[in-house]
Amino acid sequence: MNRDSVITPMSSSIILHIDDKANYFGLVLKTRGDGLVLGRPEGASEGQQPSGSGGPGAKPILLREPCDLCGGDPKCPKLCPTGCITAVD
Amino acid sequence: MPMMNGRICVFDLSSGESSEEPLENSFVVAKGLSTEVARHISSAHGGGCLVLGSGILTGSPMPAACAGFVWCERGVAPVLGHAGLELKLSGFDFVVIKGVSDEPGYLWVRDGMTEFVPSPGLKGRDTWARTDKVRDDQGDRRIHVLAAGPWGDAGLACSQLVCDHWGGEDKAGLAAELGRRNLVAVAFKGMGEIAVSEPAAHFESCVSLHSETRAKLGASSGIASYFGGADREDFRAITHRPLGCYGCPYPCRTFVKVREDPRQMALVEKEPGYLHYDIPALRLCFSLGLDARGATDVLTACARAGAEPIAVLSHCSSAAGTVDPSAVSRLLGAPRELGPPPADRLAGEVMRSFDDDAMDRAVLGLGLCPRFWSKAGLGHESLSACIVTALGTGVPIR
Repeated sequence: MNRDSVITPMSSSIILHIDDKANYFGLVLKTRGDGLVLGRPEGASEGQQPSGSGGPGAKPILLREPCDLCGGDPKCPKLCPTGCITAVD
Repeated sequence: MPMMNGRICVFDLSSGESSEEPLENSFVVAKGLSTEVARHISSAHGGGCLVLGSGILTGSPMPAACAGFVWCERGVAPVLGHAGLELKLSGFDFVVIKGVSDEPGYLWVRDGMTEFVPSPGLKGRDTWARTDKVRDDQGDRRIHVLAAGPWGDAGLACSQLVCDHWGGEDKAGLAAELGRRNLVAVAFKGMGEIAVSEPAAHFESCVSLHSETRAKLGASSGIASYFGGADREDFRAITHRPLGCYGCPYPCRTFVKVREDPRQMALVEKEPGYLHYDIPALRLCFSLGLDARGATDVLTACARAGAEPIAVLSHCSSAAGTVDPSAVSRLLGAPRELGPPPADRLAGEVMRSFDDDAMDRAVLGLGLCPRFWSKAGLGHESLSACIVTALGTGVPIR
């Protein structure tokens, strides 16, 4: 999936967001019979049950580009407002 | 179009239809302040609109460029935390709400789309229940929710709009504006991106400005750094941690827990706790004899009800200058008009951070937090450099 080709045409959709992986997003299909079908960078899976209300739907979600540490010169430690982020080898 | 989406969403609750309008960068720069742009847009749509918006600098990596706002003719309330930023990243610079819905529901804004979600079961429920239900419905715990509570449903001037469970930003009774439109909440999620005029130069100027402000202010103690009255033993005893808004190097918000060990790392374990940043309400609680736990309980209850705590406490206080928490509980269960909070008790609120009201509005209108910038001072040369490198031009502060 290319971020430039992402469209968001449907409203009855849900978003996959995994708390312990910030900015980790994939494609979620919410079906009538099979629960959730998840399309993630690691592959596809099915069988999980949705927790929200609403009918079947689908929504492609922006896939974040993997961090490349700004090409070797990480910028987030320089801008971290509280100094919590540090760069280590 | 640096720092902007270039789009306005107009949602008519009466017809259920939404439309988009272009927004010119030059128009916003000429107006300078997004709150003034909101006024102009409302007038262009016949007046009386509720406008959600962000400043032209909201989302910049410069310090405390975190502010969005809710505007209507009766007043303005900042939207802080990460909510103001995500409002901009939802794809619109402004969301204009007009009309009245036939049925209760919430507005759901994300990815450049807006829809009305009917939710009759949420009418009358408290702000926390609304926030949780919206997040459950949409399957994302990080959705930002501006919720009106039962006091907002009743259209009361002493209501308050609650952002992501927490009160304190709205001293203008804007929850009543949602209530009279049959709107129980506005939810939004921002995953978009915004461009800056000169990325490399903007980054360097922001790094310089962060360094300057950190050197000037040092480390924050949360709300106690802005309100010395919170620097007391019983408040420290329930403090979980200070919590910063987007990009803020000197947080003014303190998360507390009153019924479990506040030293737990998990923000939510058994009790949700409470995020303090309503300085005038906390000051009033202490002056009425409440301890830190009692003050937290009262402010939590007010946030859940969507009631403005200064108006509530002023009404419930006795001639002896004390307040009975049980009287507060009874009042919160039966919404009634108390009038807006007394102006002489609002010192320290976010929109009264500067001595000059116009300056508060100006700073908010740029998308900056008035509370932080009144502390840091606006006299930094790096501040101008940040603005110019972000926008490609300067803007008047006033």
